[in-house]
Amino acid sequence: MWRLWRPDAVRALEDPKVVSSMPRYIGILKGKLLSKFVISRQVQVEWGSDSSEDELWDIHDASLRKMEKLMRDLDSGRIHPDELGDPPKKSLLHLKARIGESIMRSCRLCERRCGADRLKGELGFCRVGREFRVHSCFDHLGEEPEVVPSFTVYGSRVRPN
Amino acid sequence: MCPASRYTDLESGRISLGCNFACIHCQNWEISQQFAEGTVCGEREIAALIDEARRRGCRNQNWVGGDPIPHIPFWLKVLLWETENTPVFFNTNGFYSTEASSLLRGVVDIYKIDFKYGSDICAEKISGVSGYWKVITRNLKAAKKQGELLIRVLVLPRHLECCLIPIVSFISRELGPETRVNLMDQYSPHWRAAELPELKKRLDPDEWEKAVKIALEAGLRNVTT
Repeated sequence: MWRLWRPDAVRALEDPKVVSSMPRYIGILKGKLLSKFVISRQVQVEWGSDSSEDELWDIHDASLRKMEKLMRDLDSGRIHPDELGDPPKKSLLHLKARIGESIMRSCRLCERRCGADRLKGELGFCRVGREFRVHSCFDHLGEEPEVVPSFTVYGSRVRPN
Repeated sequence: MCPASRYTDLESGRISLGCNFACIHCQNWEISQQFAEGTVCGEREIAALIDEARRRGCRNQNWVGGDPIPHIPFWLKVLLWETENTPVFFNTNGFYSTEASSLLRGVVDIYKIDFKYGSDICAEKISGVSGYWKVITRNLKAAKKQGELLIRVLVLPRHLECCLIPIVSFISRELGPETRVNLMDQYSPHWRAAELPELKKRLDPDEWEKAVKIALEAGLRNVTT
């Protein structure tokens, strides 16, 4: 149906201005390339349960370099996706999730750096808190032609009293 | 009296919710600045919805809020459960920390960043945020290096000299004239925009014409409107 509403979206993937600015994205849509998170999930990473956040970042940065090398190899065809095998139990993506949670103890995700301990239920400026609240999600047709249809998830927050 | 006014912060005159900005002209104010609380969702549940969406032809997963920055830790967990190859479209105001930037690297395929202000004074006045320029320009440069970039510029009435000119000059000079920019004319006075005299009305056609000219004169060659 969306093709009727947004014929420009069909043409967009061939538009030279789109192709030149987001070639990798188009490669993913055409089934030729893997989204980055899929590649990050393939990079095996080990860390200790007692590692400090600084130690986790060191492991993260080293693993990220491995991920970017793997991405170059996949994108250029030196490695075929079929050679990847099952994703490991602990990957770079798991480590990112682990660090993300750790940051929530003293939140500095945005540049307000308000330091709320979200895991304890404190609410900072954004009031997002500990749990993922979702206002709505739907197939969005109102974005740029190369973007739609886009499954859009509106994250929400705790209501003020 | 608007019931929302009961919830305004006395010091700044406004609060923001689910977002790290408090834009006086917020288009999604029902989500970001007012009552709607949303439903607590499990990561697996959202991952399944995204997989289904991809299978029926959606091109990407569009993370938005408010702003997706405070939701990054949740999103990373959602991704662990996804089974389809669905590119990540990070739909942000760009005011995130270097720590957040590192977490996004190797995860986000397209950084869609709003470039809202050319001056810290305007950013403070309209979105209630300080130190805007330094942060947004740092993150735009990093986003270009670590992914693909789409910049949205919503032209605000009477903010051509102070905002639009520095914005398009920066893009052209520092990110390159080929950078894809969506120049937007659809400013509309949502939420409490009427509190600022220049934001009471929509953009007039002459001002829009001038804005397009400014963008092209800055050398931008990949502008969509």
